[in-house]
Amino acid sequence: MTEDKKTKILIVEDEAVISKAYAEELRDEGFLVLTATNGRDGLELALREKPDLILLDILMPVMDGLTMMDQLRTKDLYGKKVPIILLTNLSASEEKIIQAIAKNEPAYYLVKSDWDLSGVIEKIKERLGQKG
Amino acid sequence: MSPSASESFYRLLFDNTLDGLAYCQMLFDRQNNPIDFVYLKVNKNFAKLTGLKAVEGKKVTAVIPGIRTSNPELFEIYGRVALTGKPERFETYVAPLSRWFLVSVSCLKKGTFVAIFQNITDRKRIEKDLMDAKIAAQNVLEDLSAEKSKVEAAQAKEEAILLAIGDGLLVTDEKGQIIRINKTAEGLLGRKSADLVGKIFSEEVSMTDEKGGPISPAERPINLALAASTTTTTTTTTTTGPVYYYVRNDQTKFPAAMVVTPVILGDKVIGAVEVFRDITREKEIDQAKSEFISLASHQLKTPPTTIKLLTERLLEKRVGILTEKQREYFNDIRSANQRMIDLVNALLNVSRIELGAFTIQVDEKDAGAIVQSVLDESQSAADKKGLSVKTILPAEKVKLRLDESLFRMVINNLVTNAISYTAAGGAIEVRGETRKKGERLGGKLLADNYFVVTVSDTGYGIPEDQQGRVFTKFFRADNARAKQTDGTGLGLYIVKSVLEHCGGLIWLTSRENEGSTFYAAIPLTGMKARAGV
Repeated sequence: MTEDKKTKILIVEDEAVISKAYAEELRDEGFLVLTATNGRDGLELALREKPDLILLDILMPVMDGLTMMDQLRTKDLYGKKVPIILLTNLSASEEKIIQAIAKNEPAYYLVKSDWDLSGVIEKIKERLGQKG
Repeated sequence: MSPSASESFYRLLFDNTLDGLAYCQMLFDRQNNPIDFVYLKVNKNFAKLTGLKAVEGKKVTAVIPGIRTSNPELFEIYGRVALTGKPERFETYVAPLSRWFLVSVSCLKKGTFVAIFQNITDRKRIEKDLMDAKIAAQNVLEDLSAEKSKVEAAQAKEEAILLAIGDGLLVTDEKGQIIRINKTAEGLLGRKSADLVGKIFSEEVSMTDEKGGPISPAERPINLALAASTTTTTTTTTTTGPVYYYVRNDQTKFPAAMVVTPVILGDKVIGAVEVFRDITREKEIDQAKSEFISLASHQLKTPPTTIKLLTERLLEKRVGILTEKQREYFNDIRSANQRMIDLVNALLNVSRIELGAFTIQVDEKDAGAIVQSVLDESQSAADKKGLSVKTILPAEKVKLRLDESLFRMVINNLVTNAISYTAAGGAIEVRGETRKKGERLGGKLLADNYFVVTVSDTGYGIPEDQQGRVFTKFFRADNARAKQTDGTGLGLYIVKSVLEHCGGLIWLTSRENEGSTFYAAIPLTGMKARAGV
């Protein structure tokens, strides 16, 4: 498969080791992986590279994930439609997260510490409409 | 007048005098001390006034026994007059006769005397009564003035206490007009008592909700108290109920916790009392607390998450083949790390519960399907230990309003415990069913209709004397501690707290070395929703 044909995933995550683990696992799975370490860079990269799916951390410096998602959703048609998986260690009961997800379909929410890599890959494939 | 005519005139005078009259002969001893006297002549009224009859010719000591001790002054005075001839006048009480007399005594012939007397007992009694009355009146007056100053002091003290209360205090009449406001309330509202008393509270000081929207007069706690006798109590935290903000004249505002009660006399509301205080600080702490939990949740879980992800890549041979020993070690690291994650999750859940910072978000779900899915996830752990798992769930869907993640957490805790505390080869049975009010289950009489999940095992059981404590924080039964070292002692505490917060129940039956059965019940009306922070 050429680089252009590969499915493009953007990881926006400030924890370098976590970002590395996801990125390498996804590359091993045959995805093209882009990374950013905060919401501002992530937003710029997303609008420029138009990834097929975004893995988005919530608590990050400079710009947090929820703000980035809000801005992306209002930017253009691509930004409105791109599937986003929020990856965080905040609890799902955080009201602001639930509201953000409700308002930002298609978005999905996973608690990092509860999910192993293979589970996350499966969810990504599910979101992309690929069979796991 | 002839002597005889004159004599009879005096006789007449003597006899008809209204006063008592006695003509007496004084008797002296050798030292010339008066010791007695003899009645020579008494008039008609004598008997009436003294109550003594036929006294003429008799000694007074014979007529009135005890007179010498009761009235020694009589002998002195009469003796003196009889000797000196100088008349005297005196009042005396004659105890043997129980009478008061006013006596004028004079001497016509040396050695004798004439006593003219009036019975003044009545006058004396009236005088005494008067005096008594006067004293009594004076006493009452003194008592009254003492009481008055006591009441005044008490009133001043009560006033001072009311005014000095550290909480704001405001009292209105039945129309909502302010009749009293203390210093703290003045300070909090930024208004003077003089400028508020007599005015309608809800018109003078405006109130908003948390988002700054105005609270209409009819919704104001003080008017609820006046109109509907409703008592409003707001807490100092944001987790339950509305928060009221008072707006000052300069448009600054503060959140207030308050207790507003109607004042009821007979069966009429005659006013309302509001006690309130500024909870800005508490709100800040509340906010800080929620932020702390979020932050702790994030910060504590990030390191074990990286370990989890990298260990997984190692074990999945993504970065090369591992030796058998390396594989064993990484597996150990993975399970130890998982315990760390579980412990952090449990501690965070406990904090959320204890700080009232967790949400219960209900949606209509199929309770049976959730139980099944939890069991599916636990199947491999049960298989690993060689435990048989039997599931009995209703054939049709049981639609319940549930917070799925909390319900899963409850069931998962019970199932995980059953697996952990049952020896290899044992059996676990999970049953989900609807039970009606009035039915008895596991020794409990159901007070409502419930969906009950029953998790039974053939495990170690819980010693009877420790069953009462299994739901307390950090408690682990002695036999469980001996057999399974890695429990947190938090699982059942969380389960019970969650169920209690959402209107559910948890209880158990257990016999040591035979097994335990836990019952988790959710009312068929669903979990009670609850907003977090």
